Amino acid sequence: MTANAPAEKDSRLSLVAVSKVFRTDSQEVEALHSINLDVRDGEFVVVVGESGCGKTTLLNLVAGLDRPTAGRITSGGCPVAGPGRDRMMMFQEPALFPWLNVIENVTFGLHYLYHLSAAERRERARFYLDMVQLSPFEKARIHELSGGMKQRVALARALAPDPEVILFDEPFGSLDALTRERFYAQLQDVFARTRRTGVFVTHNVREAACLGDRVIVLTSRPGRIRTIVPIPLPRPRDFYDPEVSKLASHILGELRGRGGAAE
Amino acid sequence: MKKRLAILLFYVLLLAAWQGVFSAGLLPKYAWPSPLMVAEKLRELAADGILWPSVKATLLRMFLGFGISALIGLTFGMLMGTNSFIYQALRSLFLGLQTLPSVAWVPISLLIFGLKDEGIYFVIIMSSVSAVAISAADGICNIPPLYLRAAQTLGTPWHAMGYRVILPAALPSLVTGIKLGWTLGWHGAVAAELIKSSIGLGFLLHMGRELNDVSQVIGIMLVTIFIGLLVDRFVFGKIEHRIRRQWGLVSS
Repeated sequence: MTANAPAEKDSRLSLVAVSKVFRTDSQEVEALHSINLDVRDGEFVVVVGESGCGKTTLLNLVAGLDRPTAGRITSGGCPVAGPGRDRMMMFQEPALFPWLNVIENVTFGLHYLYHLSAAERRERARFYLDMVQLSPFEKARIHELSGGMKQRVALARALAPDPEVILFDEPFGSLDALTRERFYAQLQDVFARTRRTGVFVTHNVREAACLGDRVIVLTSRPGRIRTIVPIPLPRPRDFYDPEVSKLASHILGELRGRGGAAE
Repeated sequence: MKKRLAILLFYVLLLAAWQGVFSAGLLPKYAWPSPLMVAEKLRELAADGILWPSVKATLLRMFLGFGISALIGLTFGMLMGTNSFIYQALRSLFLGLQTLPSVAWVPISLLIFGLKDEGIYFVIIMSSVSAVAISAADGICNIPPLYLRAAQTLGTPWHAMGYRVILPAALPSLVTGIKLGWTLGWHGAVAAELIKSSIGLGFLLHMGRELNDVSQVIGIMLVTIFIGLLVDRFVFGKIEHRIRRQWGLVSS
């Protein structure tokens, strides 16, 4: 699986020559330069890069929250023109709504699925709350949850509308190490059960090696694909597996090596 | 419990001091009644069927006047919250109007409306609308953009953002603004009644002064404080506390 040969019809997500330039009054900053990427159905792709390499920009473009300056993005063969229910996003912060309780947060994205009755929405929300092991907390207020629980609610909320793709913008950045490591197992379990496609952005190479089917290594300023590292390890993977460590140091070498971040 | 006892003790001492000044004859009787005289006067006003209709009249004016004011204020607040030009222009205007004491709206109200009741509504609205609008606008401006992005990716159409995200997210400051607006409107209502009404708490104050009846003046002042506090603490205060507790902004 390489980055070229865009077979848009077969792939879940397809990026062709995508560039993004941010313009301010005084300067132009090229955040992404000619990104080509195809993500297969059911694949979990991790994008790694240093801070400011444009990985969050890449995610925002795929989510439809921002438009590329050049190139095209398709999801399931359709051009991405804005946010869509086929692509849900998990942010760095849980971004849960404090005026709603846990289950109301999870049903939030089901509001405009008119073919579902209120009871069916609740049932579906409960199914995903159960999947992230938060069933006993469905009536809890958001501020009563720990940071890890909040992100699990956010995951359930992203899963509930049955999107084909889930986008992750460093969702574990603000969690403590123990909580984060428990989350890796849970996330692999959820994706094994739901067969969703994932695009996960991080600067943590070990996280990348642990979670990804492929790891896309981005250079900084402008963000380009330096290389793509396949991770052929069986799942579920343990964060401290020596094979994971080996691939993580390989990814780190790619990230730093051959000229490194030119700054 | 201990705190409540201390507060109770404070008020007992305050009453004793009041009575003390009266008993010592430090001030003439027509300017300084005893607590008992005030209580007796209030009982008399209640027995004559004057007190309750007046309280009701002022409260009704407030419900209608402040209701209109809250609607206008929230509408302006929402406009300001969605457009930065409107925000800057109107915020400076409302901040300016807010510095005006409620009673300063009475002369212009007399000139426009004469002695008609509409003038009282006008004063209530003008006294309170700025506070409501500013709090609503600030509440909307302080909504974390992340909520909007999250709602957007969850498939919320733009036309539904208002009531699905913006209103609930701004709710704590909306309630705070309405609570503040109520108090300012209450000031305005009593001030306007003082000058241009034949019923209401302000009118009873005015009547007390005309009759040189200091017991009535102080009694009605106490009733005004009491009702203002009651609505502030037990209606808006409860709603505010409930919302803040749900959001985790205060420990329950």
